[in-house]
Amino acid sequence: MKLTRRSVNSGLGAILAAPAILRHAWADDSTIKIGIVLSVTGPAADNGKYSLTGAKIALDRVNKAGGALGKQVQLITEDDQTTNPGAVLAFSKLAAQPDIVAFIGSIRSTQNHAMAPDILRTGKPVCFGGTDPKLTKMGNPWLIRFRPNDTYSGRVIASYGVETLGKKNWAIVNSTDAFGVGGFNALSASLEKIGAKVALDQGYPNQSQDFTPVVLAIKSSGADIIGSYFTFDNDIAIFARQLRQLGVTLPWVGSPSVVATNPVKLAGAALWGTYGVADFAIDSSPEAKEFARLYGEVSKTPPDNYSSWTYDAIGVLCAAINKAGSTDPGKIREAILSTKGYKGAEGEYNFDANGDGLHGYNIVRNEKGTIVFDKHIEFTD
Amino acid sequence: MDFFLQLLFTGVGIGAVYALVALGFVLIFRATNVVNFAQGEFSMVAAYLMVVFAVDLGWPYWLAFAIAIAGMALLGAIFNLLVYYPLRNRSYLPVLISTIGASIFLMNTVLALYGPQPQVLPGWFDTPGIQLGPVYLDSQYLLIIAVTLGLVAFQYWLFERTLLGKKLQATSQDKEMAALLGIPVAAMIMITFVYSAVLGGIAGILVAPVLFVSIQMGSTIALKAFAATIIGGFGDVAGAILGGFAIGIIETFGAAYISVPFKDAFAFLVLILFLALRPQGIFGERVAEKA
Amino acid sequence: MNARALPGLLAYALVAVVFVALAATVKTDDYVANILMQAATYAIAVFGLSIVLGLCGQINLAQAAFFALGAYAVGLGTADYRLPFWLCLAVGIAIALAAGALLGVSTLRLGGHYLAMVTISFQQILTVVLINAIGFTHGPDGVSSIGRPALFASGQAFLALAVAAFAISGYFVWRLPDTRLGRAMRAVRDNELAASAAGIDVFRTKVTAFALCAGLGGLGGGLFAGGFSYVSPDQFAFSDSIVLLTMALLGGVSSPIGSAIGTGLLILIPEWLRFLKSVPGLYLAIYGAAVILIVIFMPDGIWGFVGRLFRPRARAAPAPAEPLALRPAAGDGVAAEARGPGASGAGVVLEVRGLAKYFGGLKAVDGVDFSVRRGEVHALIGPNGSGKTTTLNVVTGLYRATAGRIFVDGVDVTALPAHKRTSAGLARTFQNIRLFRSMTALENVVIGAEREGNTLVEAGHGALQSRARAALEFVGLGSRAHETVPSFSYGHQRLIEIARALAANPTVLLLDEPAAGLNSSEKKALHDLLDRIAAEGLTILIIDHDMTLIAGVAEHLTVLNFGRRIADGETAEVLRQPDVVTAYLGAS
Repeated sequence: MKLTRRSVNSGLGAILAAPAILRHAWADDSTIKIGIVLSVTGPAADNGKYSLTGAKIALDRVNKAGGALGKQVQLITEDDQTTNPGAVLAFSKLAAQPDIVAFIGSIRSTQNHAMAPDILRTGKPVCFGGTDPKLTKMGNPWLIRFRPNDTYSGRVIASYGVETLGKKNWAIVNSTDAFGVGGFNALSASLEKIGAKVALDQGYPNQSQDFTPVVLAIKSSGADIIGSYFTFDNDIAIFARQLRQLGVTLPWVGSPSVVATNPVKLAGAALWGTYGVADFAIDSSPEAKEFARLYGEVSKTPPDNYSSWTYDAIGVLCAAINKAGSTDPGKIREAILSTKGYKGAEGEYNFDANGDGLHGYNIVRNEKGTIVFDKHIEFTD
Repeated sequence: MDFFLQLLFTGVGIGAVYALVALGFVLIFRATNVVNFAQGEFSMVAAYLMVVFAVDLGWPYWLAFAIAIAGMALLGAIFNLLVYYPLRNRSYLPVLISTIGASIFLMNTVLALYGPQPQVLPGWFDTPGIQLGPVYLDSQYLLIIAVTLGLVAFQYWLFERTLLGKKLQATSQDKEMAALLGIPVAAMIMITFVYSAVLGGIAGILVAPVLFVSIQMGSTIALKAFAATIIGGFGDVAGAILGGFAIGIIETFGAAYISVPFKDAFAFLVLILFLALRPQGIFGERVAEKA
Repeated sequence: MNARALPGLLAYALVAVVFVALAATVKTDDYVANILMQAATYAIAVFGLSIVLGLCGQINLAQAAFFALGAYAVGLGTADYRLPFWLCLAVGIAIALAAGALLGVSTLRLGGHYLAMVTISFQQILTVVLINAIGFTHGPDGVSSIGRPALFASGQAFLALAVAAFAISGYFVWRLPDTRLGRAMRAVRDNELAASAAGIDVFRTKVTAFALCAGLGGLGGGLFAGGFSYVSPDQFAFSDSIVLLTMALLGGVSSPIGSAIGTGLLILIPEWLRFLKSVPGLYLAIYGAAVILIVIFMPDGIWGFVGRLFRPRARAAPAPAEPLALRPAAGDGVAAEARGPGASGAGVVLEVRGLAKYFGGLKAVDGVDFSVRRGEVHALIGPNGSGKTTTLNVVTGLYRATAGRIFVDGVDVTALPAHKRTSAGLARTFQNIRLFRSMTALENVVIGAEREGNTLVEAGHGALQSRARAALEFVGLGSRAHETVPSFSYGHQRLIEIARALAANPTVLLLDEPAAGLNSSEKKALHDLLDRIAAEGLTILIIDHDMTLIAGVAEHLTVLNFGRRIADGETAEVLRQPDVVTAYLGAS
């Protein structure tokens, strides 16, 4: 046997990626394949499960309606282990399968950052959910966002607090991870723009066991409203409880975690009356209601933003493939970016040149433990 | 001044948690010369057992507590047999790595069985706390402080006043000599593991209502408790208790007056300073190797 | 470099060149390339752990932090400061090296669990700083668009670079055990006391091992940053340090091949076992259990386990050694006598004045004086607990003297640490044998021969080997030079220990109860050996309870009781003194 470069390569590949190749062999060309990177293991494993459920519901709908380009659409999943190197490996593993036409990326910004060089090299559209504004401004044309980015969450929190609640002196509490710091930057910039003041900028490390110093700092700052970006459910619950125990009753408008299922359950009464931004709110639109109904058929937990964005991404992506009339990556990308007025579970998608599809947020309220839709704030600039 | 008192209470409360976990470290270290990196996981497992018994199955709190503690005793025994005992004649290094393996195993087994969402465990008292002048005293923290002090007293009584305690002490000081004196060394080590699993379990069940029940709850506490153990001087019970309180207080005041984001670094900075300036700990352990 | 290593080097270089060439030319898809990149860079960091853990027996739970130092130096340097890649890489390695050394200096004296804790602390603090010093590190966002050197700009070329670095550091780690530094590390791992008694600076050796480990971590990290062009703090957390440690253990810490196997497996196994991951936690639970099982059932890792099947047979019997020269060069003694104020009596090589050692209230040694003359066999005797061994330990520097002074060749050594006293010319054996148990008899003796200040051995591998072989030949074990310590009987282990001391060409040989535990024929052989050593003119200070042996070999006796000297003089004369008879002989 002559040892060609090709055979060496495929041999090496076979050793390293044996399971993938097996799966490869079973797959057939009669389907359109979409790769999806999600957390099956690690701290965010649960969220990964939700994301997959959302994507599968959308897939079902698409396939029942005839699929894409007349073929059934198929999802190929890879686990990112909730780590950045894991995400890179998962993506490159998917990217190595040439028949995958587009990808669903991660909801975590740092993972998308880590995958970005590989994404650029692969040159196929990646629909992602991370909210770091920079991701769509790095000159990587293949990154297309399906959630409103943090400048919008900051703007919505600021606008609701200042204009609707009439509070101008803010205490901002944020985790010191990528999400929290990005959120803080967006919120403080928006506040400055509309003439409100940041009385306290208070970062905290994730998995803090105690928030007494933070609460006392809020007390002495003279702020009349709290804005927050929390990452972990138990952190937000501990903070909320200590806030109430130490007698702080200021209004509180926070990032989505304030109104997410777990913290609302953990903190109980301590979170009643708080406001949160939510890219997904069941009562915000008929489309969101429809998604909630479909989700309820397959899952006991209520849907949240982990599932709604993948649901929308699959929907938009398949529509774009049909519109493009081919699986050429460039054409699919153009078709997605030219999508206007697509009504998804998260809101109305109007893609801009950067690749951002959503430009607004819902404000929801915690009414004694139930989350109710308050209003939707949309920006056009 | 009001803030100061509030911070002091918080620092002492958190410190009591560290001290309680540190107590378990010290016992195992004294008996086996090994640091048990899975000590924090004892707390985590006990808290999950409580969630299963008291919340999911709805048993009365005291019954759930009793069964959870019995479960911890069993876990301590199994831990000794599978993680420590086969390695008892090797150096500290394999044992240390084995306990790290056990920590990974316990955390992820619970994750596989129970999923990653944090859980709620109700506290012992219906009243969440009392307002004492300007200071709010969380009832669960009051309980933690009381139990920690109670267990310190119990431990003193056990080691200084009972025959079993004397035997345990003899074992921890010189195993060969203890064996020559007819003390069943293996049994003493078994008792130590069981007791420290129970101690860790009590700590976990006590903090669960405050910190919620999560997979990571044990490891975050344990690292600080470990630092407390070293500041107190390895193998010194009183030192570990003081070390625990010291770290709780330093951390809380450091967060309040210096920086919240760097909060987690304070304990370790203090630790490194301590090692550089006073390696023998608060009360002093001989660090020198026996010639 | 010795001749023996040359074929090995050539073979290694050939294999390495083939691998680098493959990495540079074979077109792989991104997935395979990423896996290889990760494996190569992690493996370099794991090599570091095999030095600290495998060779030196210390623990490091912060290897991911050192990895991060290298990665961030390259990341920040190339992306923010537009510095050349090579400079950044060098700076990264230097910072990691310095951080490792500093951490080592601050805690390696304490060892064990303290080291574990301090490395964890360092890891945690670094993570907190990387996350929070946003202005400098970009915080949790991480650093993107990291540069590569122009020559290795493509992914393929950079992979080849990483593989080359992997091969070179692998070679370094492979050869290290047989260098002076490597032997010192192994000696420290096997027995710290014996190592310092053999003239090894235990502390410096540990710090060096630690710094090398950290430096390799920095190298791996720097290449990792270039390879993936993005780094963020969560890639270098405590859990990653544990992963690196497990890689080292799984493969086996005793060899770079083990490190490579462990790294490869722990990167590939998660890829293969993805199906297990449908239940969150299940895979890691199995991983945790596997760590325990490996530690219990494969203490030497996979390579240690497999390697035992392939290990080369003991080398052929060595060529006959040259006779052992034991007397210091002629000029030495004379020069020493003229040297200092301590040289009181003519021909005194070891002088002890007013020596005291208190343990709390216990006066183990209380104002002892004696002088050992050149070429003499001097015995220190006394009943149990009279302070003989304590005296020896203070003289050789294992204990610090409470009072009094010690002179070797007229030089005051009272303030010197143990290994410096060995360089000054003291060499000892221990009451309970302290050999480096994982090494061969020859390696044990080579370490003795290697002591600083051994004027009889020129630098160079060959001279050391032949000196060591001569010493083994001298004690009658020349034919078993390549067997490891546990295969020798107790009596023979004692002889190896004596050979190790002899190879050092000491001014004074100190023997701590050499006859203890020997049977009568072994005692006879020991007696003969001591006679032969004495005949060579080497000065000996001996402690023993066996009065037949002492009376047979010693010319001069110093008798201790309750930490004080009760008699001193010619052997026959002292043995006649009535208080010696009552205190010592009467009591026995």
